[in-house]
Amino acid sequence: MLAEGALERVQEACSVIGAACTRAGVAQWDVLGSQTYGTEVDIEAGRISLVGSGGEGGFGLRIVQDGRFAFARLVDASGAERAVNEAMSILRRSPSVDGFELPGASTVHSTPSAFHRSVDDLDADDLMQRADAVLAYVGSVQENAVVTGGGISASASATAFLSSEGIERSSASTSMGLGVQVTIDHDDQLTSGWEGTSADGLLPEVPDCVDLALQWATCTRDPISVRDGPSGPQDVILSDGAFGSLFGMIVPRAINGPRLARNESLWSGRLGERVMAQHLSIVDDGRLEGGAMTASIDGDGVPTSTRTIVDGGRFVAANWSVRGAAKAVADGQVEHAESTGSSSRSIGAPPSTSTHDLVLTSTASRPSSEAMIQQVDEGWLVHDVMGAHTANPTTGDFSVTTSSVLRIVDGEVVGAVRQAGLTGNLATALRGEVVLAAAPQRDGRPGGSLHLADVLFKASLGVNPA
Amino acid sequence: MVLDRRAEAHRWLDGGRANAMFDRLTSMGASYVELRAMSCDSTTVQVRDGAMESAVPSQDVGVTLRVLADGAWGTHSTTDIESVYAQGESTLKLARAVASRRATSVEGVELAEVPIFQDEVHWHPRGDVRTLDLSERLDAMAAVEKEAREHERIASVATGWADEHLQTELLTSEGMDRLWTLQRALLHCTVTARDGDRVASYRTRYGGEGGAASILEADLGALGRDGQDAAIRQLSAEAAPSGRFTLVADPDLTGVYVHEALGHPCEADLVAAGDSCLDGRLGQKIGSGIVTVVDDPTIRGGYGAYPVDDEGVNAREKMLVRHGVLNEYLNHRETAAKFSLEPNAGARAQDGLHHPLVRMSNTIIHGGTHRDLDDLLEDVEHGVLACGTRGGQVDTGRGSFQFAAQEAWLIERGELVRPLRDVSVSGLTLEILNDVDGLAKDGGLASPGFCGKGQTVPVGDGGPYMRISSALVG
Repeated sequence: MLAEGALERVQEACSVIGAACTRAGVAQWDVLGSQTYGTEVDIEAGRISLVGSGGEGGFGLRIVQDGRFAFARLVDASGAERAVNEAMSILRRSPSVDGFELPGASTVHSTPSAFHRSVDDLDADDLMQRADAVLAYVGSVQENAVVTGGGISASASATAFLSSEGIERSSASTSMGLGVQVTIDHDDQLTSGWEGTSADGLLPEVPDCVDLALQWATCTRDPISVRDGPSGPQDVILSDGAFGSLFGMIVPRAINGPRLARNESLWSGRLGERVMAQHLSIVDDGRLEGGAMTASIDGDGVPTSTRTIVDGGRFVAANWSVRGAAKAVADGQVEHAESTGSSSRSIGAPPSTSTHDLVLTSTASRPSSEAMIQQVDEGWLVHDVMGAHTANPTTGDFSVTTSSVLRIVDGEVVGAVRQAGLTGNLATALRGEVVLAAAPQRDGRPGGSLHLADVLFKASLGVNPA
Repeated sequence: MVLDRRAEAHRWLDGGRANAMFDRLTSMGASYVELRAMSCDSTTVQVRDGAMESAVPSQDVGVTLRVLADGAWGTHSTTDIESVYAQGESTLKLARAVASRRATSVEGVELAEVPIFQDEVHWHPRGDVRTLDLSERLDAMAAVEKEAREHERIASVATGWADEHLQTELLTSEGMDRLWTLQRALLHCTVTARDGDRVASYRTRYGGEGGAASILEADLGALGRDGQDAAIRQLSAEAAPSGRFTLVADPDLTGVYVHEALGHPCEADLVAAGDSCLDGRLGQKIGSGIVTVVDDPTIRGGYGAYPVDDEGVNAREKMLVRHGVLNEYLNHRETAAKFSLEPNAGARAQDGLHHPLVRMSNTIIHGGTHRDLDDLLEDVEHGVLACGTRGGQVDTGRGSFQFAAQEAWLIERGELVRPLRDVSVSGLTLEILNDVDGLAKDGGLASPGFCGKGQTVPVGDGGPYMRISSALVG
């Protein structure tokens, strides 16, 4: 998949772009280059509908001078001179930030390789065989179940980073993903389940998420009516996927240094205070083996690390990029800030403060997901939510809907509800009575970098069955 | 390669090499071959609290080769345009591999016939974004920000600008040789207000197809003032009640409702995949008789406007629902053939690296039963007025949807009594469409937006103020 010499060509192109900067007299510059090759198989209506292959790439150049910066994107190195000129004209209009300059080279600890020959060796036939296996499996388990959408993809990338300050890194990586929508359209009743998974290594031929999609397409059939259900705050179990959808909208922005400094974070002014239940902690891990965001350096070229953000419920550290930290200090928003190696960057956008893999842990007893259901006298199990992107990251408020929701009475699931609204405030809920289930795992979605688990929020969320 | 950004209709594809490949592949058994290249010259600018955060000029170019053979597709996409002519045979092989796996009971892909053109279609912009200086963009953003900031409770103002010049070239083995261009521009502003521990944000968007003039000539100060007013109002808003209410939606939210609840289930690729609640319902009554919905890419200025779809079909209006009856699906050539319908220019690809899917463009519900908002509110004993959009989502198969408002008011006996925060509405398409019981007379496209369906494309949607007799409010 990864063309021979691809990594060397990307490195060489970065050097050509850097040389153009030097010729133009640019004080500081860094450039990220990437070239990706991949194959994907699309599934529709129970069959393979399309197979595609291809490659894409480009370069993102940042120049810095007198605290000012500009960014330009290039398709290839032949346009370097023009891109540098264009960036220089923008740089002159950019505001100067006292103390902002590119980082120098420092010791970098290597991270586990994210390149797997077994994925790089996959071709279209291999992926089609895997798609066939998934289609056959679903049909064999449930006669009326059909994979109505989704697909399988595999890709390999060559990435290089080069800066005027002597930072030079390059790496090859692979990625594999699978998503399936399983639908049961039978007896005038249509239910479905969507699940996905991804990894940098080889996925199993039929990953667990296929069973999960089948399970939810099945267990939401024959819904019960709960028109006169309880009102007010209720006990709600969110699966790691549903939890991740909301957590991912709210928590990464809450720990973002520049947002905190601008009073735009729900945890602004709360550094050092308790923001979550005392048994909960959050680690932002840039070095997690198999982590979706694992890298030896961040988008600024600063070495990554494993950092505790919330310790025993207390908010102890925020994330900063190089420029974000310098600007917050220059603007007088904070007395001191420095890069935490937490910036992300693409070939299309300059570095900005972000997160790596966020891991939520608990020191309290962690029951199995099944035992967690038994703890609920009257409540709900929500597996997936629609509209998580409409959650308010500044306040933590959310109001979403779900068609994957089960009613729990006396510690047992008594049936599915066709649709329900789910409302609450995630910040408040995380400070309240929370039980985290065993076996932390990814949020189950392709590209997932949240390592959560099923969670029980006791009497803090509202559920309104349709 | 970075080209002269003002160059008119530079051709990325080599017609001679493309035709040679088409001849080769059709002689080997391909029934259809297509090369589609898209280039996008764009500039994005971010300003926060009066200081420029970033300005990024970009040029993206991609090409996708699609080969239909034995009733199955193979594709190859790349940013390396020169390399694509050598990918014909391998892509044909992919198509054949897909075809070989198809059960004999399953029909192969066919394409509905379309008129063949050899032409160029240029939607000339007013205010060509390629000749726009950075200072003109910054001035426009400053005009919004100035009005948005001037209040003690405003904590921050973030404004953004995005413009693009798009060129698509389509060459096919059927002899299609089309090139079309258009431009889009968008200005957005997020105002954050704070009062003690209470924080509220409000986002406004303005723009559409047709260059920068529509933005530069607009009352940009009003856009900022609207954002400021709304953010401050939200500081005193109370949590929304939960339950079933009469809902009145403003044009922004009406647009999102029509897009999510009806538009997506009308996409024929989802119907064909067995993932639409409107499967088999063409010609059937699915909603109230006052509901008429169109999807129209020819509305110039709409953010989802285009002259030609990504299969080379001239854009046209689609009447999705006429007086409550499902009238038409959105189609591309493949689904048109499957359902024995006419292609109606519903094929859109995110960029040159993606193949076309069935997508919406500018989706609007027609108005007419009530004079205006006051007229709609007059009959409401207890309800919610919801305005502005924070987006929505739909499960097309189950027909369930959710959309969220930016601000809302509680309605008591026809009067707006107090602001509400974080209101969302959910429901089931086939129930809610029947519960639309009032539409104001005037309405058109509302704020520009984006639609994700594996690929992201710009869309417009809107309508008049709309009343739903019973909706689930969260």
